[in-house]
Amino acid sequence: MSVSSSRGAAARPNGAPQTKVCQFKLVLLGESAVGKSSLVLRFVKGQFHEYQESTIGAAFLTQTVCLDDTTVKFEIWDTAGQERYHSLAPMYYRGAQAAIVVYDITNQDTFGRAKNWVKELQRQASPSIVIALAGNKSDLAAKRMVETEEAQAYADENHLLFMETSAKTAVNVNDIFLAIANKLPKSESVGGGAAGGGRRLADGEPPRAGGCCK
Amino acid sequence: MNEEALLARATEERERIFQRYERGRDNLVGQIDPWEDPEFEDYHKTDRYGFIHDERLPQKTAPQKVNIEVEREKKWVKMLGTWDSPATQEKLHRRIYKGIPNSLRIKIWGKLLDVARLRAAHSGKYREMLTLARRWSTDVRQIDSDVNRQFREHQFYRARYSEKQCSLFHVLCAYAMYNAEVGYCQGMAGLAAVLLLYMDEEDAFWALAALLSNSKYAMHGLYIEGFPKLTRFLEHHDRILTKFMPKLKQHFDKFGLDAILYSLKWFFVCFVERVPFSLCLRVWDIYLLDGERVITAMAYTILKLHKKQIMKLNDMDLIVNYIQVKLHKDFGYPDDVVISALERSMEELKRARLDTPGPPPSKELPQRTLGVFVEPDNKSKIGQRAETFSETEKQARANVILRREKAALELQELRVSQSDTVSGNWDHSPPTSRSTSADSLDSHTWTHL
Repeated sequence: MSVSSSRGAAARPNGAPQTKVCQFKLVLLGESAVGKSSLVLRFVKGQFHEYQESTIGAAFLTQTVCLDDTTVKFEIWDTAGQERYHSLAPMYYRGAQAAIVVYDITNQDTFGRAKNWVKELQRQASPSIVIALAGNKSDLAAKRMVETEEAQAYADENHLLFMETSAKTAVNVNDIFLAIANKLPKSESVGGGAAGGGRRLADGEPPRAGGCCK
Repeated sequence: MNEEALLARATEERERIFQRYERGRDNLVGQIDPWEDPEFEDYHKTDRYGFIHDERLPQKTAPQKVNIEVEREKKWVKMLGTWDSPATQEKLHRRIYKGIPNSLRIKIWGKLLDVARLRAAHSGKYREMLTLARRWSTDVRQIDSDVNRQFREHQFYRARYSEKQCSLFHVLCAYAMYNAEVGYCQGMAGLAAVLLLYMDEEDAFWALAALLSNSKYAMHGLYIEGFPKLTRFLEHHDRILTKFMPKLKQHFDKFGLDAILYSLKWFFVCFVERVPFSLCLRVWDIYLLDGERVITAMAYTILKLHKKQIMKLNDMDLIVNYIQVKLHKDFGYPDDVVISALERSMEELKRARLDTPGPPPSKELPQRTLGVFVEPDNKSKIGQRAETFSETEKQARANVILRREKAALELQELRVSQSDTVSGNWDHSPPTSRSTSADSLDSHTWTHL
């Protein structure tokens, strides 16, 4: 498995086995300043900015990951965390096949907010949505306020994927996206229509971003 | 934790944050986390507006350009002496469209926003609001977190708890008290940070107040719960696209690209971080003179100038990246050319009676008297998220959904009309625009709204 970190023309080497290409919509939700944009930036560009500008509204990025026989293209919606923007959130999670709900391990309140987001997704989003919980800023373990076991137990109860991540040191960032990619149903049907099923791209239309599967 | 403990904790948090800004950088030696505080880079990387760049900047501005600006400055200084005369008011439009000399923005922006009058008329109000904020503000945490990331690549905002960072914090805290309906909304830090590049703290406060509540700008309606003005301006933007650039509109619809996804910052912060800063300032000059119709016209102008390029991009990712990132780094046209195009757009829209979606309805204007203190309730003091949506928020959600449904329907009609000529392989379009039947999957959810 690999994650491409470069943007550019996709190259499908001659003679390589044809891989299935699936496209999924993924949304990031969570309290302001927990590191949603930083996780995306790390995953998509391999970078980290200490002073990631605050997201107004939402930002959109894509990244491709390769599983054994499938290429998964994520269309990522990174949302604003402030409560005021909550009313715009359905715009982004509606129709999403995956969500990462992010909290900051050094701030208990953000964990409470993450739980609210999970509840809202369970009630309002597509029933088959794959939800992952990310306890971000794991590099700041000295200031930890949310115990791993507490979050793990909550995740187990609610059937969520769970990892503690650090956008700063890159720990578990690719892993959480890969875990989601693995869990998503890679439906064979072209065009889809069923919620949860990724849309398989037509043959000869490899996703543009990323040069994986080389 | 019980409510009492939560309240005490919120008070303690507000107190701690305020104290740090009061003590300022010089009195916090050794107490600023390393991650909060970047090294100060060399000056050769700083541009004329104060932004620090990763790479060495190109050689100095052409001498000819400097001369033009010096000549203009002389004219402007003269004009400032006779600001209220009819002759000046007549010249103002033409001169502002040519660009206010950067060294004089500090004066002219204040004049255009009538800052001195506001400040004099409400003498003492700013301090009063700041004192109230120190005691009662419920927005401190969010403001603190945004001040810590606003324009950190600018020399004024680079160092944590620098003078300008403190001013930004104070202006936003005071304003959140002054206009309790708006409080603090993300985006406002961008507005205030730009104003503070050219004004002192109290002037910037009154300038921000003018932008929000003066009917010429009426940004209040953008930032209140449910964002009613955003909805209204986006609908108007769609009307303009449908009339003047229908193919581009179809192109956007094909990829499920709602205007809200690429243009939110155009409306919220008047193009800050969406076009290069030099151009952004030129647009601000004109916005401060002519008001909200400038935003509508500039949104149209950006798409008009880049229509050809955008039509070549066959992916939502590429289109959004082009509009939001590429155009910020390099707009591709000299500022003067863009401003001429903007002026033409304004005339064109006026002829078509599409220059403005009309005056703001009363719900978009402040309902409460500004500057009158209302004690926040315990819930907002503690900072709990509201578990349920208010009526306004429900309306905003419903509007958002409606926009999507409408776009999807239009697209379906378009597909039906094109189905004879197109092979019919639409698999690579995003789920939102796939079909309305797919949307019906979670439609049960929305009927509750």
